[in-house]
Amino acid sequence: MRVPARAEITVMLGRRWLLPVLGLPLLLSGCAALVVNSATDTLSAAILDQTDPQLVAEGAPAYLLLLDGMIQTSPDSAALLGTGAQLFAVYGALFSADSQRAVQYATKARDYGDRAICLEHRPACRWRALDFDSFLIALEDVGPRQIDSLFAYGVGWLAYLQATSADWKAVADLPKVQAVLDRLVTLDDGYRDGAVHVYLGQINSLRPPALGGRPDVAEGHFQRAIELSGGRDLGAKVQYAKSYARLVYDRELHDRLLTEVLEAPAQEPGLTLFNVLAQQEAKVLLEAADEYF
Amino acid sequence: MSISNPIRGALLSWSTQALVATVCLTVTAGAWGQGAPIKLATIAPEGSSWMVQMRAGAQEIKARTEGRVAIKFYGGGVMGNDKKVLRKIRIGQLQGGAFTSTALAERYPALNLYGIPMLFHSLAEVDYVRERLDGRLQAGLRDAGYESFGFAEGGFAYLMANTPVRELEDIRGRKIWVPEGDTVSFMAMETLGLSPVVLPLTDVMTGLQTGLLDIVATSPVGALVLQWHTKVQYVTDLPVSYLFAFLAIEQRAFNRLRPEDQAAVRDVLTAVYEQIDAEARRDNESAEEALKSAGISYVAPAAARVEDWRAQLNGVRARLAAEGAVDAELLVEMLGHLEAFRGQQASTAGIVPAGP
Repeated sequence: MRVPARAEITVMLGRRWLLPVLGLPLLLSGCAALVVNSATDTLSAAILDQTDPQLVAEGAPAYLLLLDGMIQTSPDSAALLGTGAQLFAVYGALFSADSQRAVQYATKARDYGDRAICLEHRPACRWRALDFDSFLIALEDVGPRQIDSLFAYGVGWLAYLQATSADWKAVADLPKVQAVLDRLVTLDDGYRDGAVHVYLGQINSLRPPALGGRPDVAEGHFQRAIELSGGRDLGAKVQYAKSYARLVYDRELHDRLLTEVLEAPAQEPGLTLFNVLAQQEAKVLLEAADEYF
Repeated sequence: MSISNPIRGALLSWSTQALVATVCLTVTAGAWGQGAPIKLATIAPEGSSWMVQMRAGAQEIKARTEGRVAIKFYGGGVMGNDKKVLRKIRIGQLQGGAFTSTALAERYPALNLYGIPMLFHSLAEVDYVRERLDGRLQAGLRDAGYESFGFAEGGFAYLMANTPVRELEDIRGRKIWVPEGDTVSFMAMETLGLSPVVLPLTDVMTGLQTGLLDIVATSPVGALVLQWHTKVQYVTDLPVSYLFAFLAIEQRAFNRLRPEDQAAVRDVLTAVYEQIDAEARRDNESAEEALKSAGISYVAPAAARVEDWRAQLNGVRARLAAEGAVDAELLVEMLGHLEAFRGQQASTAGIVPAGP
């Protein structure tokens, strides 16, 4: 399978402004974290440390099939379901050949995430029926012990919203997903080296202040993500530039962040693949900056 | 964008405006010339369907004019509210922007016509009237100094609240929102004996959270984008007003383009706006489904009371015309079109038409 160019991914990922939020880098950070607590650590690490995205695009499907088989064998393993949710989410967002397949991957990611949290926190089995306010209250009952499943649930749902972003139901669900992510950082601010902060940065950059958005909150999340990853997660910087700096038309910040990304080493345990992709995207964004600003 | 516009029109006194205009003419002459990019402001954020289509349109224009016409966008309201954008247009920092009807209504009051509360009963009526009047409004905008390229539907605004609103009594004594600067809606509420709360759009969410507001009105798309759907449980299934938006480029800037470049800009942007207009209708239908899926109930208004509301609001139209808030001549023409359409519909259905 051919690795799509950055611009193509952008087009693939959606038609509305959910797009920049739920796009690729959002899920990249989540994937970087899936090594932890996974029954398939070695394989995951091998994927994440690749410098060649094409190799991953072609090789990962075998791993997805393997994971599917393991989940069928152990349907009550929240850890396996959580890994499945994240991997299908990431693979679908990055490498789907078309939007129909992206929806299939994302639907599976969401299903696995739903099952993971339902196994670990029984009230979650009925979350889908709740209105927004009831959902907020229900999230308060999720504790630190369920954090991995809550993360898988959030990432699976995000991937689903991304893949179905042409549907207004995705827009309707966005506040709930944001509430899940808010709960995650409340439970553990430093969870997965700041991956959740990148998602929250993107979601809070979706809408300008004139439409009720909070870029100031977004900026805080991006800065925290960079701090927590020690600046090693280049995807966080690219998203900071792409989602926030572009929203507020801060070219100086935009160009500085992207230049830093291009000058940084891509190789970093658990982040190499995504750092390579982040550098590719940074190059495209910098080249298009004159036209944008 | 399919949200009602909260921004009050320019509040400068006539003499101040005249002074500013004189100064601006001088500044603009130096600030913008042929070959400089046309800078446009909009509230639509980057990545929104509006922005994606407009950027594609700008690329096409650049190609067709061999690079002579470049368009730069300032999205997400970064150039400020409508009042600030209009000021920046006057001093030549911007050459235009995307506006909802109320933003330029002070300059050209006929833009308030389609938004008269409870005027239209259905989108079929909207289509009939727009087919006959859109061109007139565009011509009027041109006379008022702005070139526009067609109108994009924002959809109908509906009442949304935490308790069902089926009749006027359900609103009385409760805090109902009116967008800042929306004189037409404000006058309508006054006529109905209601006590509207005037707030800018940006304060509505907080208003709903804190109880400062009980009832709001927006389109289904607006409710989802603004996330008000997380704070309301009922939508009254009765269109209260029609929303639309358009792109306007200041005439002075537009006229400096070569005639063939003007034609290219007009062709491309008109096509883009036709597409946005059509998509908006599908978007609102889909957004309505999404609201229902999110657990929001659509409630039917009491039919007999609806006629009462409409009868009471008929008086507002005369007042709007008398106070110059709408163009009296076009108002009469529009009501004539509506009457004709309803007559056609009634004769098809074999019933006697009601008045507009």
